Amino acid sequence: MEAVFVSKLSSLLDALAAKMDVYVPVKVSNHIVFKKYDTENSQMAEFNAVRACTPVKEFLFPLREVAATTQAQPEIATVKPFAVFGLKDCDVKSIVILDKVFGEDEFIDPLYMARREKMFIVSSDCTGPAESCFCSLFDGKGFAEKGFDLNVSPIKGGFIIDIGSRKGREFVESNDGLFADVPASLLEERDANRKKAQHQLEKQNAGFTPAALLQEIVEKTQDSEIYDQIAKDCIECQACTRVCPTCHCFYLYDDKQKDYFTKMKIWDSCMRFGYAMVAGGANPNKVLGERLKHRLMHKFVYFLERYGVNMCVGCGRCIDADAGGIDLRQLLKNLSEEANTQKTERIK
Amino acid sequence: MSGNLYQPISGRITDIIDESSTIKSFVVHPESPFKFATGQFVELTLPGEGEAPFTPSSSPSQTEQMEITIMKAGRVTGLLHECAPGQMVGIRGPFGNGYPVDRFAGKEIYIVGGGVGLAPIRSLFLTLVDRIKDFRKVVCRFGARTPEDFIYKKALFGPWQKIGNVDIKLTVDKANGQWSGNVGVVTTILNINDVNVKNAVAVVCGPPIMMRYATLKLLEFNFVPGDIYLSMEKNMSCGVGKCGHCMVGKYYVCKDGPVFTYEQIKKYPKIWD
Repeated sequence: MEAVFVSKLSSLLDALAAKMDVYVPVKVSNHIVFKKYDTENSQMAEFNAVRACTPVKEFLFPLREVAATTQAQPEIATVKPFAVFGLKDCDVKSIVILDKVFGEDEFIDPLYMARREKMFIVSSDCTGPAESCFCSLFDGKGFAEKGFDLNVSPIKGGFIIDIGSRKGREFVESNDGLFADVPASLLEERDANRKKAQHQLEKQNAGFTPAALLQEIVEKTQDSEIYDQIAKDCIECQACTRVCPTCHCFYLYDDKQKDYFTKMKIWDSCMRFGYAMVAGGANPNKVLGERLKHRLMHKFVYFLERYGVNMCVGCGRCIDADAGGIDLRQLLKNLSEEANTQKTERIK
Repeated sequence: MSGNLYQPISGRITDIIDESSTIKSFVVHPESPFKFATGQFVELTLPGEGEAPFTPSSSPSQTEQMEITIMKAGRVTGLLHECAPGQMVGIRGPFGNGYPVDRFAGKEIYIVGGGVGLAPIRSLFLTLVDRIKDFRKVVCRFGARTPEDFIYKKALFGPWQKIGNVDIKLTVDKANGQWSGNVGVVTTILNINDVNVKNAVAVVCGPPIMMRYATLKLLEFNFVPGDIYLSMEKNMSCGVGKCGHCMVGKYYVCKDGPVFTYEQIKKYPKIWD
């Protein structure tokens, strides 16, 4: 992959900001969130060692937006080009998953695609994965290999910038003076850094490695009591679905403006009691354990059958956010063990 | 599908017909001709209030106006019931797959319906009757709580019964003085001799509990699960397989349905809930 070198992060961000709005990771209390980059205050942006607290879907599919109006000209939000710096491999993979849903041939979501086409993705290597990170269970290595326009790897004295797309190349070429060639020694140093992070991810998740394909495990344990047990810890805060970068359920509702009507699109959560309820009151997922199970079935079975990929990237945000202390890795491990027991019993 | 999936076209309610104490039919004139296949559904918006999914009850051959039969069941349907002719509405769709009518050609069609489930069935029935020679016969077994609760009474008690190649039987859960027909749930009027199962397909639409027991009965008659067509009612919102509310297993009822064969969905939990 073609790469260049830049010594200061701010030079890269300033060059981006000359062309578009740039969002950068900023630490607020203990959390990393994205804020709009201010060239007057370039030190606001720091290299983030780990993924942000908030999911990248916010940029493509905001919490609430106008989906349609009764005004003569239906307005689809006019989107300006924007860049997001500091996305990690898990974030980039979550975009691939969302693209499958909202960019599906026959049914393209114009609101999502308008933003997606204007987004410039600047990913970066994980240098300090969080304890909750478990992307290694999904072949994650802590750095992105594709799906970005530019990728940033920190090294001594500067940053290696990988070019991942035509848009990325055009940007580098139009800012020729900013970048230098990458000495081979720096690439070696980067490899060593990457291996270190990868090793950490593998080490911390070694105990959670499932014994079979997650699809098989989750499908086989549908009658498991584990879901009802874990439901006792769940306080139905819905945080897991909010922070999840791949959860994309939404609801349409109608609203009145001053002199016209709007149809709004708002994030929804399959953890909500009334989520699947119909007007007459029938509700297939009245029981919390059933809703927890449906979420896992969707992520590891149904989505895979439909789109060929798991709907989980192992970012671990749900683990950090869960007010009831539910750890998805542990849940999957417990199901894996139960699936194994079932197998043995059947042999007997 | 092009343009904005979420943008309804405008329409006007021109007539409202009282069908029963809780069910009304709304005649809607869309601003431009609206094409749909029988069994597909639309999202009907009451501007500023909300939208809800309904399968039109009129024939798809009619594109200038459509009829939508609505039971008062929740907030949006309650508000629709308070509307008067002239009310503007929004229409999104049509969504989903509809009934595979061409695949029914040459066969006997066994239609089991109950309550407001007769709404999608009316659209199918009118479609079948339009080309009745293509089918060996159409057998209808419909139920309602009481005789008053039948919708489309005028057609159902009169002209529909006189169409050649059509055999209609009705039942009510609870009779009144004038009722001379069968009393009992709809499965009590299903008889294995109604159709030649080997060359028949079944279509079921009604309240979930009725659909469940009717399906069991049809299986007893040796219908294969792939020949039982079910019109599923779930909480469809977006209509295009994204928002997640109507999932039955891996399927989105809005996009892959609302018509499924029992074969497609039998392995999934809670299909009747």
